[in-house]
Amino acid sequence: MIGTIPKPFEEIMDAVAGYEKLAVIGCDGCAKVCMTGGSDQVEEMAEKLRNQGKNVVLAVTPDRTCYVSKTRTALDPHMDELKQAEAVVILGCGGAAQITRKVTEDYELTIPVKIGLDSVGHMDTLVMGELALEQCQECGECILNETGGICPVTKCAKSLLNGPCGGAQNGKCEVDSERDCAWILIYNRMTALGESDKLRRFMDAKDYSKMAKPRTLNIKERRVA
Amino acid sequence: MKLTELFDKGEFVITSEVGPVKGCLRSSNGDEPPRCAREAEMVRECVHAINVTDNQSAVMRLGSLAASVKLRGKGFEPIYQMTCRDRNRIALQSDLLGACSLGIDNVLCLTGDYTSLGDHKAAKSVFDIDSVQLLKIAKGLNEGHDMMGNTLTKSTDLALGAVVNPNFEPLDLQLLKMEKKIEAGAQFFQTQAVYDPAVFEKMVKKTEGFGVPIQYGIVVIKSPQMGRFMNENVSGITVPDRIIEEMSSVSKEDRKKRATEITTELVREIAPMAQGVHFMPLGWSDIVPTVVDAIKGTV
Repeated sequence: MIGTIPKPFEEIMDAVAGYEKLAVIGCDGCAKVCMTGGSDQVEEMAEKLRNQGKNVVLAVTPDRTCYVSKTRTALDPHMDELKQAEAVVILGCGGAAQITRKVTEDYELTIPVKIGLDSVGHMDTLVMGELALEQCQECGECILNETGGICPVTKCAKSLLNGPCGGAQNGKCEVDSERDCAWILIYNRMTALGESDKLRRFMDAKDYSKMAKPRTLNIKERRVA
Repeated sequence: MKLTELFDKGEFVITSEVGPVKGCLRSSNGDEPPRCAREAEMVRECVHAINVTDNQSAVMRLGSLAASVKLRGKGFEPIYQMTCRDRNRIALQSDLLGACSLGIDNVLCLTGDYTSLGDHKAAKSVFDIDSVQLLKIAKGLNEGHDMMGNTLTKSTDLALGAVVNPNFEPLDLQLLKMEKKIEAGAQFFQTQAVYDPAVFEKMVKKTEGFGVPIQYGIVVIKSPQMGRFMNENVSGITVPDRIIEEMSSVSKEDRKKRATEITTELVREIAPMAQGVHFMPLGWSDIVPTVVDAIKGTV
């Protein structure tokens, strides 16, 4: 999922300054799991905005706001309310906000789409409702097969490919003493698998052209450009 | 002169570190020499070469290459430290070509401290390549080609150094990386600061067959507070309580004298296991000549 955290409410109020009639649109996908943009949080945000004197004309939560079709399915029945809105507040990731902007353009509505959350990475949920962890950078050339299923590109602060720096202490990273050193995790895992010798292989510099933004995924052709 | 030539001749190689200043080095009449130049002068007669740190601890300073070239101009032998934190593969290769063009003979290839440890915490960390890859790339430049295989008009001729941390647990993982560094092109090693002879001996025994010279690294402990700070904040170094207590037991005025004695004892005990010693005096370069003098005949 895409991890999100709420922006400070004052920042959202700044973003919608001058707009009275607002639509609040959440996302029942990732933002629901992060408890930042599910239908409950959309209702809460609508209430807070009303308390600040705003007129919330629409509060709706598509299943997945990053899917054009699902967003349209949720918004199509509410076209009258959306047309009244002077601005939209999105409680979803940056993708959700941009898909919503595109959808409003498709509806031929020229209204600002503001975002109420900060997106903080591709996250995997460890404890539902409590903890998620970044494990993948979508680098375009997965090396998990060589590193015991633990990604050093993501889990090592320095994305080192050929082993640890010298900074780990008591198995923890020099950047954050609460965090395990990714390379010690990899080494322990490879040792347990009886494959630690495979770590001797020189890993070439990464091909960062595969991460060159913005990538386009051609799903039918299974091709990234 | 390349450090490798000294090691080849069987010299016990002595180096000391200076950190470039946070400021510019263009001098006006009447300016006193910058601290890094003064520190270099303090060790001129007793070291073979001077390490010049690369924005050490991720604190922005004068660049390592500029400071190295300045020191070279004053007759010192600089070891240009290069980290992977701030430059991508294009800039690193370009700077290696630049270093050789400007008369630098020695380069120490490191990963680099993480950005958030320094004074520009919001900076984008680069780490496009790692230290093993940097060594391989630098070796390639010595052989006349860049990392993409493109031919250079003229090869570099740099002695390539690397670092290893004998305190690292598990040590075998650190040494696995050390072997990768050697295979990639590392010709000599400097260690992270070690205060426990047994820790150093363990590493020496395990690296006997590696065939590369190793310099014993030591950071001078200047005060009990510094020892405690290093234990709490500098990863990969353990300052024993014994040293912290010894530094606490003397008055502030006597600390430098006691630090000199402690450093001498450690170097006397540990350095004979190595092919050289690397001092990191952190501003107390003036004690290095005393220590070097005191260990003569033991290494």
